[in-house]
Amino acid sequence: MTTLSAVKQGRAGPTGDDPTPAGPGWAKPLHRLRHHRQELILLLVLVAMTFLFAQLNPRFLSTAAAANIMQDFSPVLLTAVGQTFVIISGGIDLSVGSVLGLAGVICALTARAANQAGLPTGAGIGLAVMAGIVTGLLVGLVNGLLVSRVKLAPFIATLATMGAAYGTTLVVTNGVQIAGGPRAVILIGSKTYLGVFTAPVLVVLGVTAIAWLFLAKTRFGRYTYAIGSNRFAARVAGIGVKQHLVKVYLLSGVLAGLAGILVYFRLGSGSPSSGQGGELQAIAAAVIGGVSLAGGQGRLGGTILGAFIITAVISGLILIGVAPAWQQIVTGALIAVAVAVQAIGNPKRSVDL
Amino acid sequence: MTALYEARSVSKRYGSVVALRDVNFQVNRGEVVGLVGDNGAGKSTLVKILSGAHPPDSGQIFLEGKRQTWHSPREAIEAGVETLYQDSSLAPDLSVSANLFLGREKLKPGILKLMGFLASKQMDAVAQAELESIGIAVPPSGRTVFELSGGQRQAVAIGRAVSWASQVILLDEPTNHLGARQSAEVLAVIRQARHRGLAVVLISHTLPHVLEVTDRIVVLRLGRVVADAPSTTFTGDSLVRAITGLNQSQTSDQGGQS
Ligand SMILES: Nc1ncnc2c1ncn2[C@@H]1O[C@H](COP(=O)(O)OP(=O)(O)OP(=O)(O)O)[C@@H](O)[C@H]1O
Ligand SMILES: [Mg+2]
Repeated sequence: MTTLSAVKQGRAGPTGDDPTPAGPGWAKPLHRLRHHRQELILLLVLVAMTFLFAQLNPRFLSTAAAANIMQDFSPVLLTAVGQTFVIISGGIDLSVGSVLGLAGVICALTARAANQAGLPTGAGIGLAVMAGIVTGLLVGLVNGLLVSRVKLAPFIATLATMGAAYGTTLVVTNGVQIAGGPRAVILIGSKTYLGVFTAPVLVVLGVTAIAWLFLAKTRFGRYTYAIGSNRFAARVAGIGVKQHLVKVYLLSGVLAGLAGILVYFRLGSGSPSSGQGGELQAIAAAVIGGVSLAGGQGRLGGTILGAFIITAVISGLILIGVAPAWQQIVTGALIAVAVAVQAIGNPKRSVDL
Repeated sequence: MTALYEARSVSKRYGSVVALRDVNFQVNRGEVVGLVGDNGAGKSTLVKILSGAHPPDSGQIFLEGKRQTWHSPREAIEAGVETLYQDSSLAPDLSVSANLFLGREKLKPGILKLMGFLASKQMDAVAQAELESIGIAVPPSGRTVFELSGGQRQAVAIGRAVSWASQVILLDEPTNHLGARQSAEVLAVIRQARHRGLAVVLISHTLPHVLEVTDRIVVLRLGRVVADAPSTTFTGDSLVRAITGLNQSQTSDQGGQS
């Protein structure tokens, strides 16, 4: 009876042996497979899709197309990673697309100003990156405070900052492309490793791996799930719900800012229109990946596959000659299908709906 | 003698509803106090004030004679006050073990601790031992609380409150959702907790349970304490009369603060 309090007071506690497995030896891998059913289904979808697009246009399988997909994939994945934390915590972040765009142009403006002021290239690029990150941090902070202190519904709070960030982008750029940064930017952004990985792609993969560890293995991740699963339970368990939510929105903002920076490195200029519809793609990636909009459920592995599916679908559609305007329609349709499939496959959520 | 845990002239209103008015309540070490009253009498409100979940509008709280002002449930938890809330205080998407350790996770040693890495296997093992000792046959890891039956969930929540408490346990309708045998087990757990020297507050509408396991009974009616007396002075009938307020003359003289 007193084991827990004994642990708390440091008197006792096991040495970390495995708990007795509940069932025969073969049951464990089987259970793991069931646990990862969502990811398996997504992998199958991805394979089937690749096959289909390759049939329609063999260039879909070329190295060039793959490199392109990887590059399109990175900002989607980064914003989707932030979105995954936010949605699991029971919220939503509609501002990530606008933040991506704003951070990109702020980054470009800073790089150009540093260049014109005659700063060394390295210092200029460093400043530009920092400015982009701070942009994401600031919007994330505002989102977090609006949600946790002002107690706005996340949907409303981030809708407001989405509009404000986009407006700021138009004001600071006058609606035109920001070029004139150092040439080194494009060199950094376009150097490829192993044929398909550019430096930005590698950064994204690294950041995603760390985020995965934090969501799945740490107290930060556990609190994120707990808050999304039952906010009252989290609060009365002594979790600082408000502080935690601020951190979650900060994370989403920073990742969106980083995504904007990476887009800048890829294009070598800041475009006021980049990031438009980015929130839709990020949400779609997370939801397709099995993150429940009701909160408390989802894994980053699913989001990664979801982001891949979204990017591959969009690239594939372009390759087979579908007009870009269809992208958002397709993304929207994918969200609807993913949510419907989730409701069918998940007893809890279908009851809730 | 000062009580271990005490509320002095506590009042609380929600908008125009007065949930508690001028309530005095105390519980001692090794004592089980029953808190009864009709629906809406203010029992859960008093529990939430004692657990730090809600601040009182006025009145004071004393733990071991020391004035306490809880700003959050965390502060009460750290002082040794554990609570089973009437509304579910489990996170259904987390495993049983994660729920048992929610807010008090064990971390891996060394540098990993700084980054907040969870010692999941260790927590699972402790949770397993803990659940077995309470007699709950639920695998603590792997399955989420959502997949448990209502009774199993309740058992997990009780297990969590009872095993972490070091001073006071507040149990708001712990036998809810439970069958006869499980209810009897909960009463046994309550007796064990008293034996450990904890102060236990039991809220229940099942009056035979209350009469059976408590040392003292406090009756709330419309936010006021209308009786506070040793359990042995009540019969089933007199307790019902105190709760409903019908035929008051017979019960009010049993009141009187102890
Ligand atoms: N969060 C709240 N907001 C508004 N009113 C509330 C709130 N919580 C409780 N009340 C009101 O306060 C009064 C006391 O409620 P409380 O939950 O303490 O009753 P109770 O004795 O626990 O009843 P029950 O036996 O039904 O659980 C009720 O009139 C209730 O409507
Ligand atoms: Mg109640």
